Amino acid sequence: MKDQRSTFRHRFILDRHLYLMLLPVILFYFVFKYAPMVGEIIAFKDYRLGDGIFGSPWVGFKHFESLFGSIDFWRVLRNTLVLNVYSLVFGFPVPIVLALLLNEVRKEWYKRTVQNLLYLPHFISWVILGGIFIAILSPSTGIVNTVLVNVFGIEPIYFMADSRWWPVAYTVSGIWREAGWGTILYLAAMASIDPQLYEAAKIDGASKLRQMWHITLPGIRSTIAILLVLRMGSMLDVGLEQTLILQNQSVLDVADVISTYVYRVGLQNMSYSYTTALGLFQSLVSFILVVSVNRLTRAFGERGLW
Amino acid sequence: MYIQNPIHMLWSRAGTAANYVMLGVFSLAALYPLWYVIVSSFSSSRAITAGEVSLWPVEFNAQAYLRLFDDGQLFVAMGNTIVVTLVGTLLNMVLTTLAAYPLSRKRLQGRNFLLMFIIFTMLFTTGIIPNFILVKSLGLMNSYWALWLPALLSTYNMFVMKTFMEGLPDEIEESAAIDGAGDWRILLQIILPLCKPIMAALSLFYAVGWWNSYFNVLLYITQSNLQTLTLKLYQMILQVNQSLLNNGTGSEGVDQIMLTPEGIKAAAIVIAVTPILILYPFLQKHFVKGVLIGSVKG
Repeated sequence: MKDQRSTFRHRFILDRHLYLMLLPVILFYFVFKYAPMVGEIIAFKDYRLGDGIFGSPWVGFKHFESLFGSIDFWRVLRNTLVLNVYSLVFGFPVPIVLALLLNEVRKEWYKRTVQNLLYLPHFISWVILGGIFIAILSPSTGIVNTVLVNVFGIEPIYFMADSRWWPVAYTVSGIWREAGWGTILYLAAMASIDPQLYEAAKIDGASKLRQMWHITLPGIRSTIAILLVLRMGSMLDVGLEQTLILQNQSVLDVADVISTYVYRVGLQNMSYSYTTALGLFQSLVSFILVVSVNRLTRAFGERGLW
Repeated sequence: MYIQNPIHMLWSRAGTAANYVMLGVFSLAALYPLWYVIVSSFSSSRAITAGEVSLWPVEFNAQAYLRLFDDGQLFVAMGNTIVVTLVGTLLNMVLTTLAAYPLSRKRLQGRNFLLMFIIFTMLFTTGIIPNFILVKSLGLMNSYWALWLPALLSTYNMFVMKTFMEGLPDEIEESAAIDGAGDWRILLQIILPLCKPIMAALSLFYAVGWWNSYFNVLLYITQSNLQTLTLKLYQMILQVNQSLLNNGTGSEGVDQIMLTPEGIKAAAIVIAVTPILILYPFLQKHFVKGVLIGSVKG
């Protein structure tokens, strides 16, 4: 026992420079990751600026009770889930289809050009993309409505101000930014499929479509599974920067999600404790989702995240 | 060799052609919105408002740019963005390296405990409010440290770098250690030069993140001389949302005066996006490499 302790100390001294390197890192995690976790206790208090986190009075589950009893809570929870489900259902398959198409391109220069163009939106800020999107969809000046009015003779559509159209615009903008970028992992997985499989299939007379279906798709199955599982883990997390730039007062009934609600009500109206309760709810659900989804991945025989 | 049915061949040719055309359309769709703002920025306000701008500038002029340059505020914002991006990325890379190198050494005692300590912060994330209160109580409001300090490193990127370092052969380090090199020396002179590809990829990820971010700036920076480009744009775009809201309430006259003209907004967007477009061809291959290394779990 004593021997073990002394080797431990010995090796600690030997590696002291490594620990020294880690010192600022550990400090960072304590101050900026763990301290805010402690700060979550204001969800159980009536936080007052003057009294600070520890001086404010405890109120138990008061804020949670008013949270679960409010219409707002169910509205933002519903919106968060709905927007996520839309993005998942319509957005998840797009990069797979794009990768399948790209994988069939034999002309290298064409493939590279297409890829470069498809990756591009990923590098542009949501502020800019949002600005462009709003401009294009504008009922009076946007190109989309100009075409609708002049070519199809339809009344202009208020895409960004109409509760029925806003979720569509939101989903499409998300796909537009990330679909091309999402192809990278699938293309890499496709590149590692044994070419002999395709040769054999060709000799058996399989068409391109059949080869895709019977060789390419099964070949990237585990990549699809992992990415799908990862995506499921963030069901309560709607991109804050995307939503904030695209939303406006007239569509708040469908566009207000947990994070934008916390920002608006919490910071702008200063109801800190109430919105911290909401944030804590979100963190807990996300935590449970990620952990159980990881369990599930491993149960299916795939390598989990940890 | 096998003989192909001629009808089959015709079909597969048609399929290939359709594939090429479809991909071409998709890439144009990815590019068009950008093209649209560029074209708008060179068109007259009248033409934009009348919805006449689509593929080429209408009533070509550079008025919007001239007015932005006259204003001068945009240059301040641009300078701020550059400072935020450069310093932020530098801090990120230093901290990421300081975390990744020791944690990639299997001999490090307490390594598993430290990894758990870090991974937990990935799983349980804290909300906006506690973070805001923390930054505020540290007295960081209206200082770029409010942006830099809470984002000193991204745990995900750190793990990417750690994975890369674990893939380097141990013998290199061992022989250096036998020659009497200490940990710092091994890191700086031996490990880091081997990490160039991943360092490039990660610093680009960080830099683009800084360049594009606006929410934290919105939270922590209220002084107008400290505002960044993205925040300026956010405010311009917010005006449009406000005007959508006020439409039909009879206050259009007031709003028309306050509203930033579409052409100027387009020009500001073009200015903000140009650096990324210029660097893009050079960045692209590093990014892809970074994503691929990141996807290989260690």
